[in-house]
Amino acid sequence: MTEDIIKVKDLIVAYDEKPAIWHLNMTLQKNSITAIVGPNGAGKSTLIKSIMQLIKPVSGEIQINGSKSKKALKDVAYVPQKGEVNWEFPTTVLDVVLMGRYVHKGWIKRPNKNDHKIAMSALREMKMEAFRNRQISELSGGQRQRVFLARAICQDADIYIMDEPLQGIDITTEKLIIKTIKSLQQEGKTFLVVHHNLDTVKEYFDHVIIMNKTIFAGGKISEVWTEENIDKAYNEVSAVR
Amino acid sequence: MELLTSYTFLIVAIGTTLLSFASGIIGTVSVIKGQSLIGDAIGHATFPGIILAFMIVGVTDTLSLTIGAVIFGVIAFFFIQAITSHSKITLDGALALILSSFFGLGMALKSFVQGNPSFHNTQGIDDYIFGQAAYMLRLDVYLILIASVISLLLFIIFYHQIRIYTFDPIYSSTVGINPSLINFLVLSMTILLIAVGLKAVGAILIVNLLIAPGVIGLMWSNRFNIVTLIAGLAGAAAAFTGTYISTAFAGFPTGPSIILVLSAFVLISMLFGRKGLVTRQIMKVRGESS
Ligand SMILES: Nc1ncnc2c1ncn2[C@@H]1O[C@H](COP(=O)(O)OP(=O)(O)OP(=O)(O)O)[C@@H](O)[C@H]1O
Ligand SMILES: [Mg+2]
Repeated sequence: MTEDIIKVKDLIVAYDEKPAIWHLNMTLQKNSITAIVGPNGAGKSTLIKSIMQLIKPVSGEIQINGSKSKKALKDVAYVPQKGEVNWEFPTTVLDVVLMGRYVHKGWIKRPNKNDHKIAMSALREMKMEAFRNRQISELSGGQRQRVFLARAICQDADIYIMDEPLQGIDITTEKLIIKTIKSLQQEGKTFLVVHHNLDTVKEYFDHVIIMNKTIFAGGKISEVWTEENIDKAYNEVSAVR
Repeated sequence: MELLTSYTFLIVAIGTTLLSFASGIIGTVSVIKGQSLIGDAIGHATFPGIILAFMIVGVTDTLSLTIGAVIFGVIAFFFIQAITSHSKITLDGALALILSSFFGLGMALKSFVQGNPSFHNTQGIDDYIFGQAAYMLRLDVYLILIASVISLLLFIIFYHQIRIYTFDPIYSSTVGINPSLINFLVLSMTILLIAVGLKAVGAILIVNLLIAPGVIGLMWSNRFNIVTLIAGLAGAAAAFTGTYISTAFAGFPTGPSIILVLSAFVLISMLFGRKGLVTRQIMKVRGESS
């Protein structure tokens, strides 16, 4: 039983007329933990931002849960590559995580006890409970990353899209994050994660997308994670340029 | 002390206090975004709008002058946008350019009007440079009341959206918040408050009401809701005190009086606030002795 929760058809994205993504087709299988791998500048972040409607593609179609509208994004939680937030903003860690509840509250409703409970359990999961009253700017890079992961968990979405969540993270925290992802998968969630360390792809993921401007291979790890496919994407001096 | 119960003083004090409360809260958003000087440029840029409106209607009529100020505030903002997006000039360059050229235009128009015998009662115009709350009319206070209430209501309604957008614009757009709408809202509230506050505080100093309270708030708390509340209260307290000083010592302009009190608050906050110089020393000493 397979079901595609995200479908991307013939996507072209360009920055100042220079294509970063070229005729890309992909699907994300429901309830999978899918890695996106590819060399620097392959367009991984660009693909994710296009799915999140943060950039406008030149052409192509993106469907989330069969819908093309902005509303479909309500079911998606996004963790950017580097939190490009305003670090001067006065906010505690707990308040940042609570922002994840916004999609369930909307406009005026304030977060209630239940939302606090959800936020605290997300913090606990990321082992950041003790920092809940800390000003966000007073955290280390890895701790900040964990706060944004906690916010995504708190958002309680169906699909989680993460851009290199393991970048700059120590090995203990890395295992912690992977454990959390796998337990959320048990609850029916789907993950699309940009990943750089090719050695851990097999251990952490069940599906993989190998890309460099376009998709070189995509599917179950057991079927497409081959030396040949990896080499193609990493060595090819890009088919389009 | 009789002053405190005098009708005129009360009208004026209510106006400036409310204005500073609202400006303190709305201005905090720009302070956090690092865009406080946009308010400065817009504040200065409203001045030629005031004079042109005066030239058209021939009297210092509050409503017409306020409309003139709003129009020029909006024009200035569009100029700033156009300059930063269509040239290599950075934001601070564009702000300096707009601030000085618009204010210069205003000063030139002022000399023209005041030297021209066909215009009468031109001395009232000077009040819009430094502010003279003592000459505020009931209508001035009503306008402040309307602008402040509208701004505060919008702030409350859009509170969560403004908060999330100011902290993390990218995230805000992925959870269905419209960043351009929020940006537009904050800017409109800023221009509106500047326009109605000119008579009380003046074009040169009005930006202080938008910046200083936010700076004070940030010194005392690391939570957005508390920071904005402190900002509003600090603005209000400074405005009331400043207006009192200015009314008690007739001839002392209101704008500078309020700003001086605000500056004293800023200084106190920098010394004794949560991360103030003195506070940190005390923490250090305590830390060493325990
Ligand atoms: N804002 C931008 N303006 C112009 N070009 C951009 C912009 N962002 C990315 N690019 C270009 O688009 C291409 C794809 O970039 P992207 O960030 O998607 O790569 P990536 O696969 O995420 O790389 P990395 O592994 O380094 O994160 C690169 O050639 C990059 O230079
Ligand atoms: Mg990237």
